[in-house]
Amino acid sequence: MFVILVYDAGEKRVQKFHKICKRFLHWFQLSVFEGELSKAQLERLKFELKQVMKPEEDSVIIYSFRTRHYFSREVMGLKKGDPDNIFI
Amino acid sequence: MKRAIYISTPGQLKREGNTLVFISQEAGKKVIPVETVDSIYVFAEITLNKKLLEFLSQKHIPLHFFNYFEYYVGSFYPREHMNSGLIILRQAEYYLNHEWRIGLARAFVYGSLSNMLLNLRTYASRGNDLSTQINAIEELFDELNQASSSAELMALEGHARMAYYEAFDIILANPDFSFEVRSRRPPANRLNALISFGNSLLYVTTLSEIYRTHLDPRIGYLHETNQRSFTLNLDISEVFKPLIVDRVIFSLINRNELKPGDFSEKLGGVYLKEKGARKFLEAYEKRLNETIMHKKLGRKVSYRRLLRLECYKLYRHFLGEEIYSPYVRTR
Repeated sequence: MFVILVYDAGEKRVQKFHKICKRFLHWFQLSVFEGELSKAQLERLKFELKQVMKPEEDSVIIYSFRTRHYFSREVMGLKKGDPDNIFI
Repeated sequence: MKRAIYISTPGQLKREGNTLVFISQEAGKKVIPVETVDSIYVFAEITLNKKLLEFLSQKHIPLHFFNYFEYYVGSFYPREHMNSGLIILRQAEYYLNHEWRIGLARAFVYGSLSNMLLNLRTYASRGNDLSTQINAIEELFDELNQASSSAELMALEGHARMAYYEAFDIILANPDFSFEVRSRRPPANRLNALISFGNSLLYVTTLSEIYRTHLDPRIGYLHETNQRSFTLNLDISEVFKPLIVDRVIFSLINRNELKPGDFSEKLGGVYLKEKGARKFLEAYEKRLNETIMHKKLGRKVSYRRLLRLECYKLYRHFLGEEIYSPYVRTR
């Protein structure tokens, strides 16, 4: 499934969140990630995030789509990450 | 959702922050989410270090290298993470027992021939006259049971392929891509270059799938098991070449996506240029991810998954649970 993940974390944990997320997803903006994941991978990602987050201070929102067809992306201004591509 | 990564620009591949990073002059720094990587194919000059290899090993990601002419050079095959002494013993047992070995080799050839026929029939139904080639292959089926060594089976497969490749000229009907005769090392014309490139890709993709099972890729049945190379992946690939590689070639040429300008002549052979190779890789990866209905499982599976399922079938065969029958597409 296609996943967009955004988070709001305390200053101390921002780096940790970033590090975990970038192993699974593509970085798009400061605290925004997106990418294609399987259910199992998403569960693992959530599990790892739970290990570092403080539920009373941080927040993580995950939007997931069954397919990419109903979704379009428009970037205005600076493009920080690049769309995922299997070719480098 | 694991996928293959293809590297075609020179640069440095490294481990950073527990994930993969590719740094190149062209594109700068690019982070690759390691958890979603299935395997890596390298076509360009890259630098890497042991730290990276250790990391790939830990994440069970095989790394495959191709040279300047897009020939397969070799793989970094991380130490088997799936080790089963039992399966290796059984695989060897099935190799050493002549009858059993021939049985498996025959199954691979049967699958290969059947899938070739499927392609021919598909294109025949679109109004091409392929009856000579279809008949030629159909006749070979009868000889399948008489063959008593894997060399004979290989020869049989070769004959089938000769008839099959003849049909390419009719299917493609494109003078820029005429077949003439099968030639490798070096491929003498464009179509041969595509076949060679596609086949070597499929061998490596199959190897990546075998890596995720308990099977030992060094013991093959149709292809002679010898001292140096992987052979089981060649056997399994044989069944899937018509379904994956050849279909990619047909669609690329028939849709005019590949043009003579995508090829170049070097050292007396014809090779794909970087841009052409990229088009091929894109189509190939797309084909691998295409899904079809799997009757037995009752759900859709991708061709990549189908390769893995084939490994599991062999697995059951070796354990004596179910006799292996190759994947044959019926329509």
